[in-house]
Amino acid sequence: MLRELTITSAPIDEAALLRGRQISSGMGAAIYFLGFVRCQEDGREIAALDYEAFERMARRQFELLFDEAEKRWPIASIRLVHRVGRVAVGEASLWVEAVAPHRGEAFAACQFLIDEMKRVVPIWKKPVS
Amino acid sequence: MITVRVTFYSYFRELAGQPEATLSVAPGSRISELLAQILERFPKMRPMQKSMLIAVGVEYQRPEFALSDGDEVALFPPVQGG
Repeated sequence: MLRELTITSAPIDEAALLRGRQISSGMGAAIYFLGFVRCQEDGREIAALDYEAFERMARRQFELLFDEAEKRWPIASIRLVHRVGRVAVGEASLWVEAVAPHRGEAFAACQFLIDEMKRVVPIWKKPVS
Repeated sequence: MITVRVTFYSYFRELAGQPEATLSVAPGSRISELLAQILERFPKMRPMQKSMLIAVGVEYQRPEFALSDGDEVALFPPVQGG
């Protein structure tokens, strides 16, 4: 399975990610999710979120999630980009893609990765007014 | 005695008033014993005890995990990626 994990302070270049997609002839589904910073956090207006990662551990925990996703579904590729540092309202903080033979598997893997990331990957956010 | 380095992440850093601390514990000590020492030294962290996540190196560990000399322990609040 192809795995690409990027933890970066640079904006997410969606066009470049889409250009880099590899789909073999057996793959019928590519699902990707983008998470954006919203203008409200806990009921307060914000300008941005400051993301902090314990990067070495975040990488390890993402790899464990990729291992688990690979065990559960016949995924050909997982690519995930998470921003760190300041991310302004309206900018994407997360991009996740799963490629699989069928849509159910790709949707499930994508959902699993996001849900589990929010449970175990050491990344935190702090609102900026 | 063995020495471990403790790093605080997110708002735990503010509660501790410093990003990291080096602590000495008796050989064979468990994380729970280290935590008792940390909460004594950084009392502002006490209310966070229940939700605190603990890692040694890059793996999550439970309070009964036995520490070794030179271990790098990370303490942090619930994660919020995405």
